[in-house]
Amino acid sequence: MSEPFGTTGPIDTTQPPPSSEAAPPPAARARRFWSPRRIPAALTALVVLGAAGLLLYDVAAVRAGRSAMQWRKILARELATRPLDDLWVLLGAAVAAVAGLWLIVLALTPGLRAVLPMRRDTPGIRAGLDRHAAELALRDRAIAVSGVRSARVAVGRRTARVRAEAHFRDQEEVRADLRDALAEGIRQLGLDRPPRLALRLSRMTKE
Amino acid sequence: MLGRFNRILLALTGLVLLAVGLAVLIGGLDLQRRWGFTMPDQWPFDGPKDVLFSDSARIRYRSEQWWWPAVITALGVLVVGSLWWLLAQLRGRRLRQVSVDSGDGSEAVLRGRALEGILAAETEALDGVEGARVSLNGERDTPRARLVLALAPHADPGGVLAGLRSVVLENARASAGLAALPAEARLRAVSHRASRVA
Repeated sequence: MSEPFGTTGPIDTTQPPPSSEAAPPPAARARRFWSPRRIPAALTALVVLGAAGLLLYDVAAVRAGRSAMQWRKILARELATRPLDDLWVLLGAAVAAVAGLWLIVLALTPGLRAVLPMRRDTPGIRAGLDRHAAELALRDRAIAVSGVRSARVAVGRRTARVRAEAHFRDQEEVRADLRDALAEGIRQLGLDRPPRLALRLSRMTKE
Repeated sequence: MLGRFNRILLALTGLVLLAVGLAVLIGGLDLQRRWGFTMPDQWPFDGPKDVLFSDSARIRYRSEQWWWPAVITALGVLVVGSLWWLLAQLRGRRLRQVSVDSGDGSEAVLRGRALEGILAAETEALDGVEGARVSLNGERDTPRARLVLALAPHADPGGVLAGLRSVVLENARASAGLAALPAEARLRAVSHRASRVA
């Protein structure tokens, strides 16, 4: 199966690719990843299909000489008798307007907020890093600084918030080391828009 | 492609819902009179005591020859269209075959699954990658790869991408005789506990 491709064993990646050795040219801005919006589309299609299918069935049944289903008679009567300022009509209208606005928002926004676009310095590959992966990598960086006991990281689209707890060494030294380590960590993530660092360091309270 | 199509249809559906909802709210809350603006003559509601869909509107065209065929056709189009839209979401546009340039003019094809399997195996062999899922889409002579990688704790994302390009994708591209094999990669992490041991 793997014959046409030669090696399948462990692959040596220590050799850098020939072109990335030179200073990479200023790559174009990486675009956000856009969700295909499969789930909202499937749900909308399902609702339209159900409603149109049911109505079509009933209309055809009535044409064929059977009597209309109960729900259609009730619906026609309610639509023809309830005034517009009826609470249920207003409620339904408000729900429809909000749902419509929501669908428009879904259609216009990219979605996939958990995927952070990476710098486009590898030609031919468009890559995105999961937010969670970035958080884990930064947490590991923070934990490796001596004096840091624990760290919690939340990476947003613009800011990486790090809350660390120190348990020995001078607080200012730990802060400086942490800042350097995290700056290096953020740089190594290779993101197109490296998040700004917001660091909060607290001293562990003695028992 | 599917994404753009979905977004257009979602926006249209949303506009219809929003327009209907707002129209009923304007009528029901009597906003025209309260806020002092007027709507065009074709405006369907005459005020808060009007109804959504009166009996006379419902049976207005009933005696016309074309009415029932038109209703049934419209509903039928809606049913078929929405069914097709729904199925388009379920169907993965995965490539079954990739055409291989054998160099002697005769055409050869490679099963898409086979190429996907090889790409996944080679990606998993990269340093710092614990797992990989690969799918191919696009056309058979211009395939595109989609990869989801699970990164190990010590992985360096930039290095992984470089390896992906220079080894994995380049091998596959060269072996299949393709002009290019563009790829989209999503890098995830395997969750792990914090540990100070390097």
